Amino acid sequence: MSTHSCRKGLLTAGRFIALVAFLLFSIGPLLWIITTSLKSTDEIYTFPIKYIPSHPSFESYRKLFSFADFGMYITNSLLVTVSGSIGAVFFSMFGGYALSRRKSRRSNKVLLLVLYFTQTVPTFILMVPLYTMVVKFHGTDNLTVLSVIYMVTVLAFCTIMAKSFFDRIPESLEEAAIIDGCTTTQALFRVVMPLVLPGIVAVFSFAFTNIWNELFIAIMFISSSSKMTVPIALNSFISKAGISWDIMSAGLVMALLPTMIIFAVGQKYIVAGLTDGGVKG
Amino acid sequence: MKERKGFDIYLLYLIPVFLLITVVVYYPVLKGLVFAFQDYNLFNTTNITFNGFDNFRHIIEDIAFPFGQILCNTFVWVFASLVLQFIFGFILAMLLKKPFPGRGIYTSFVFYTWAVSGFAIGLIWAWIFNGQFGLMNDILMRLHLIDKPIGFLSDPKYAMKSVIMANVWYGIPYFGIMLLAALQSVPEELYEAAKVDGANAFTRLFSVTIPYIRPTIISTTLLRMMWIMNFPEIIYGMTSGGPANSTNILSSYMLNKIYIEFDYGQGAAIGVMIMTLLFTFAVIYIGITSRKED
Repeated sequence: MSTHSCRKGLLTAGRFIALVAFLLFSIGPLLWIITTSLKSTDEIYTFPIKYIPSHPSFESYRKLFSFADFGMYITNSLLVTVSGSIGAVFFSMFGGYALSRRKSRRSNKVLLLVLYFTQTVPTFILMVPLYTMVVKFHGTDNLTVLSVIYMVTVLAFCTIMAKSFFDRIPESLEEAAIIDGCTTTQALFRVVMPLVLPGIVAVFSFAFTNIWNELFIAIMFISSSSKMTVPIALNSFISKAGISWDIMSAGLVMALLPTMIIFAVGQKYIVAGLTDGGVKG
Repeated sequence: MKERKGFDIYLLYLIPVFLLITVVVYYPVLKGLVFAFQDYNLFNTTNITFNGFDNFRHIIEDIAFPFGQILCNTFVWVFASLVLQFIFGFILAMLLKKPFPGRGIYTSFVFYTWAVSGFAIGLIWAWIFNGQFGLMNDILMRLHLIDKPIGFLSDPKYAMKSVIMANVWYGIPYFGIMLLAALQSVPEELYEAAKVDGANAFTRLFSVTIPYIRPTIISTTLLRMMWIMNFPEIIYGMTSGGPANSTNILSSYMLNKIYIEFDYGQGAAIGVMIMTLLFTFAVIYIGITSRKED
């Protein structure tokens, strides 16, 4: 009896230690970049390291927003990301609903396969042809065009996610509404959409995170500095001489902030959407 | 279903999605495949000609970027990252399976790294692995494991290990999330039955848990493999493939061809190689895993 409870105690302790280790490993790098951003430049470049800044200040952030004009890049990024994500939610909700409710099983399988296959294509192979295409329509260096391209790059997975959320809502609900005299579209908006709200949150969060983080498409399509997005700005902080870690650390913290907020709000739904959609992270 | 009207509506809902994906994804991909067999360089766009397999030959024979080394790096990067992400993700999922106070907040913190961009991860870890002022050197020296700082990202001996560590940091949540969901679907009765039969925790893991969640394990590892193979962002942020090609993988090589050399033909040729390799891997992997099922 006592060896049993002793073993149980050891197991609990072991589990606790493992959980703490995972936590330290995952948040350590984030805490470290935040600490760096609050240090003075002298303290950033000292070794052995000072773990706690002696005079924590927002000096690096001031430099970031004054010299580097980071506020404008954040505005650009937010515009592109929010509009792209709303577009992706809009189209994927209709598409996902249709895929979930259509009766023809075989053609649905083909359509799903078409969506899944986009996940295996290397982005870089489509980048250049896409660029030459957009050049023909004089659409380069344009934030609206960038946002449309982003919307489509996340659309396939958003549709797969949306379908999985609709699959959980019983069809009998709309059938009842249709019998009561609603059209299919009315039934979708009045009956199904309110129930699928968690799905909308999940799809939006997924789209937001992916678009906000994207670098290489942005580098290719945006050339003027007034239209740069946050990832391009961070990339421009890298020079041949190296990286100024004061500005870079502050920039990284600012770049992480929106996805942190989105993740904090939508985590539960994102996790549900990812596991049901079952693809890419 | 009396009215056929509904069917047309569904088709109408589907058209925008598939139209957009065809125009922005599939059409450019097909064109990209053609580029692989063309002499397509940004500095010379007026004279684009088909050149057969020249692009492939150039890549394989290039002495400055030894192809064998790049292939080998790609294999190490994909295999080591995948195995470590999977093992740690699995352990994390097992730890999270039973509820404990604060589990919700805990998972938000542990899963958050999933939402960080590959490029930002590369930069954050480049700072941690910095040879002069890096956190990693400081910790190792305080623990007296090393006497003087190591140039993690400038020494070919350590560079690949460093980028893989950053990738593992990023990838644990993916497997944690997926496997946790799968673990929670395992019926409790199966464990009870195994306990009655006298199975200990270890045998329960291998005779009940793993067989039950096998489909999830197969699909997640396969998809993750494809994803890691096409994922040069961390490497770009940390080493750009250096030092001395020691972290150059196919996708980072492709990135350099397109963004630095502007040689779209050769870049596309590497893309074709990546897709061929992935396709072959996938077929073999599915073949092996489905045969075992009988």
